[in-house]
Amino acid sequence: MISVQKLVKRYGSGPRGSNAVDDVSFEVDKGEVVGFLGPNGAGKSTTLRILSGFLGMTSGKVTVAGHDIREQSFEARQKIGYMPEAVPLYPEMRVAEYLAFRAELKRVPRRDRAGFVDDAMQKANVDDVANVLIGNLSKGYRQRVGLADALVARPPLLILDEPTAGLDPNQIREVREVIRDLGKEHTVLLSTHILSEVEASCSRVIVIAKGKLVAEGTMEDLSRKRRAAGLVLVVRGDKERALAAVGAVPGIAKVTCEDPPATSAGTHELRCAWQKKLDDAGTAGAIEQAVAALVAAGCFVREVRAVRSSLEEVFAELTSSAAPVPLDPEPPPEAPADPEATS
Amino acid sequence: MRSFWPIYKRELFAFFVTPLAWVLITVFLFIQGMHFFLLVDHFASMGPAASDQTPIQAFFGNTVLLYLVLFLLIPPMTMRLFAEERRSGTIELLMTAPVSSWSVVLAKYASVLTTYVAMWAPTAFYLVILQRSGEVDWGVAASAYLGVFLVGAGYLSLGLLMSAVTTSQFLALIMTALVVLGLFILGVGEFVTREGTLMHAVCSHVSIWAHMNDFASGIVDTRRIVFYGSCAILPLFVTVRAVDAWRWG
Repeated sequence: MISVQKLVKRYGSGPRGSNAVDDVSFEVDKGEVVGFLGPNGAGKSTTLRILSGFLGMTSGKVTVAGHDIREQSFEARQKIGYMPEAVPLYPEMRVAEYLAFRAELKRVPRRDRAGFVDDAMQKANVDDVANVLIGNLSKGYRQRVGLADALVARPPLLILDEPTAGLDPNQIREVREVIRDLGKEHTVLLSTHILSEVEASCSRVIVIAKGKLVAEGTMEDLSRKRRAAGLVLVVRGDKERALAAVGAVPGIAKVTCEDPPATSAGTHELRCAWQKKLDDAGTAGAIEQAVAALVAAGCFVREVRAVRSSLEEVFAELTSSAAPVPLDPEPPPEAPADPEATS
Repeated sequence: MRSFWPIYKRELFAFFVTPLAWVLITVFLFIQGMHFFLLVDHFASMGPAASDQTPIQAFFGNTVLLYLVLFLLIPPMTMRLFAEERRSGTIELLMTAPVSSWSVVLAKYASVLTTYVAMWAPTAFYLVILQRSGEVDWGVAASAYLGVFLVGAGYLSLGLLMSAVTTSQFLALIMTALVVLGLFILGVGEFVTREGTLMHAVCSHVSIWAHMNDFASGIVDTRRIVFYGSCAILPLFVTVRAVDAWRWG
């Protein structure tokens, strides 16, 4: 549906210019709901504006539904329903009037126009404000009018730039439900910087940071990137011997022990942090060795669990070029307590 | 060009649904009515022998009155055309619909030109009033209105361009007013430069004062038509290029 090859957008010229989008290539297939993820200023909006035909590209090739966005701009634009980031609308028009204008502009034949407008209003849940001036609408309604506008000509492809920005939680849920329904009939590319949004509505995700593509794949691919940030071992036995045994295992950088009140008598909770640059195989080996060392030291292992980094940390790792995920991170929400705070 | 019609309709709607158009038309008709009254009163009290011109000539040219209303009304008419859409971001929605730059520019221009014509239309009653008590040369009146239309077409086109090169309505207003004023002052140069110099030739070519005087006397000079025609078409062309240029900004 969309094919983007080596897309570059450069703002400014000469040495003072900078690439807002830098050599990005990706594909979106028919019927997919794809999340376009990245922190603020990553180049999401710029990319979507290029796809929608509003901005020109510096170099690269974009085809939408088989039409080159540069050479067959008209045909390409007819296939797209675009909703810009701030949802600009004409405040002096009424909702139904506005949508009828947009339908005419998007070349919906006269006899279909009323039906298409009603349909779009129903899908976007704005039929109850059809005769209200857009200037008097709340943010949530304006957002949905923008969505209705994107839908009104029934384009096969929807490009939505931060459709839930600035909404309250209830409205966000509503908009997400609408988008999920739309995914059944349309190909959807939506941008966001909120991870849970992608989790809630997208089948695939494209992550960009600082204008570069940093990851692409299904939601499972992304969650597989969640690395074990550490290891928790619950053991029964002598605390000092257990600490010494685990501390000696190669691959484990640091072991701390704390006994939260909840742990039953005689058991200890050891928290281990991995050494830097430990790969998956190394991690697995270190877990085995740690358990073996504990058993050899006369301790009984009751529980072995990995501390996973949260999706937010995966996002941070992917999008900040500064460093890979820290090995002794702040414990994610599911971890019981902060080892640093108590040791 | 199929997108011309919906945009044209929406622009007219936006113009007349907001108070701006009504305020401008009211102010315009009030000022023009005053002018008409003063002129008719003046000619009536002077008697026929006192002047070598007719009220129509004085109304459409040869007095500063016409230029004053044009200077006051053209800039606020054109300031919002593109500047407002760019400021509010609606231009993004407009340009991502399957429309061509030409149809957007022409639709906006046509809408403001229509408003301009609608603004002048009620002044035809003045001529009807004149005819009840005197004689009106309808040929001269037609030529005067042609002049008004041409001058307006040129100025509105310049205003459209100014609105397209800035995102601030206020700046568009100021720049349009400066261009209109500049053209007028350059035209006045006709009377202060020595005849035969290049400056004199340039000044008399752009002198709206002299042009309107001709039109108001029933002289339709093709040079004037070409001049105002280019005043309208050239800025339109540049505006289309400016609209295309946003894409690369």
